[in-house]
Amino acid sequence: MSAAREGRVVLALGRRALSVQFRRAQLLMPTFVLPLMLLAVIASGTSAAQGLRGFPDVASYLAFVVPGTIMQGALLAGLTSGTALAADIEFGFFDRLLAAPVRRTSLVIGRQAGTLGLSVLQTTFFLAIAFAFGARYPGGAGAVLATVMLAAITAVGIGGIAAAIALRTGSLSLMQSVFPFVFVLLFTAPAFFPRDLLTPALRGAATYNPLTYVVEAVRGLLAGDGALGDPWAGAAAALLLALATTTLATLALKDRLRRL
Amino acid sequence: MSAPAAPSALPVALALWRRSLNEVLRVRGALLPATIAPVVFLLGMTGQFGRLTGLEGFPTESYLSWIVPLSCLQGAGFAGAATGSNLARDIEQGWFDRLLVAPVPRPLLLVGPILGGVTRSLVPATVVLLVGIALGAELPGGAIGLLALYVACAGFCAVAGLWGVFMALTFRTQQAGPLMQQGVFLAVFLSTAYTPEVLLRGWLADVAHLNPVTHVLELARQATVSGIAPGLDHTVPGLLALAGMLVLLGGLALLGLRRLGR
Repeated sequence: MSAAREGRVVLALGRRALSVQFRRAQLLMPTFVLPLMLLAVIASGTSAAQGLRGFPDVASYLAFVVPGTIMQGALLAGLTSGTALAADIEFGFFDRLLAAPVRRTSLVIGRQAGTLGLSVLQTTFFLAIAFAFGARYPGGAGAVLATVMLAAITAVGIGGIAAAIALRTGSLSLMQSVFPFVFVLLFTAPAFFPRDLLTPALRGAATYNPLTYVVEAVRGLLAGDGALGDPWAGAAAALLLALATTTLATLALKDRLRRL
Repeated sequence: MSAPAAPSALPVALALWRRSLNEVLRVRGALLPATIAPVVFLLGMTGQFGRLTGLEGFPTESYLSWIVPLSCLQGAGFAGAATGSNLARDIEQGWFDRLLVAPVPRPLLLVGPILGGVTRSLVPATVVLLVGIALGAELPGGAIGLLALYVACAGFCAVAGLWGVFMALTFRTQQAGPLMQQGVFLAVFLSTAYTPEVLLRGWLADVAHLNPVTHVLELARQATVSGIAPGLDHTVPGLLALAGMLVLLGGLALLGLRRLGR
């Protein structure tokens, strides 16, 4: 089986994953709207924090918290993709895919391709809306592009976890219950507050959370200020997360096939 | 031959209440997300925004005390929203169709699951409260303050349950689950979730002022922040807000129920 053919399979599955999401746009709305609402709430509700000693000197509080929103979007994009996979399993479509003459890993990677596409659209949307409301990105167009890529790779990482759970359990209702758990990753990273101002326990936990490095990298990139975050550390964290969880999802698929 | 008598309301509601509680026993870990997530939020938000108590106008020195009622309401809200997810599943799998042909008034089919949600919500609310107290949250409201907190949680759970039911009856698919949960999420966060009204800036100050959940939060915060005001300044608005939301969302849920099967 040629790599080109598998590539076409992955693309087709990715396209399908995206079109299924957008076919019922009202169900996709929370993925796009909720992070923006939370951004608005946090930017408005906690902006007084700029007066705290030790808060970095930033031109715009909105731009400072945008990376948290982008990470939240990546989490939700990954989770949404896992939920859709669980629906495919529960309603039998996945069984039909299993009968197709394609590599099983392509089924996982195809789903991940859909997650990547969704995240690219989502991050671009968030950056544009925040820009319209006054956030500025001194890092320039290259930084914006790098941000979109970092967020997409992170979404693939989360999508891998979600896909692994969906494949292990095959339960749509369980997948929906996972929604609050993904926020563990968000809240144990300096998503909306500088790492130095987190409580000591959380600061310790943040060190072990890959999202910490991604969110700081995005913050540094967009602000054009390397002191706020190292882009290479962010890229490494996102890539490792994506690789590890896609492997987990592939293993979960193999396990599922053994149990059939 | 005379027609069999329709069953009375109470046994039907109780049977459906028991069925929704069975979910907890039969589905492994069914209560875990609704219980652990608010604890995570409690710890996460305290860690993220704990320094905000240093700002002038913050009514307590303990951010944990400020956040505990919010997390209790969240847990109760998620437990309520799960009622909607379960109903959507019942609709998708055809079980609800069978209930619809039962000789009972349709609204009764919703009472049991909502009561089940309220019962389930006591678990996350209590776990969050205990974790908060263990970590140092204060209880200036004493026993009556705690009662106010539980009333707020039970009421908010019923509100979230009706919202979930309305969504389930509208979309008739489990994929509407995120809408149910995120509706709860937004209702809670468009209030004085992170900071008191005096520290809110811009549009959020106005929205939080109008959002009835702000009053429900104030009702709950009597346990850990303000204590019970002698003039019931935080109790009466909170109860009225709950009653208003229950009437509005209850009406919408009944409307959805009436449309079902047409």
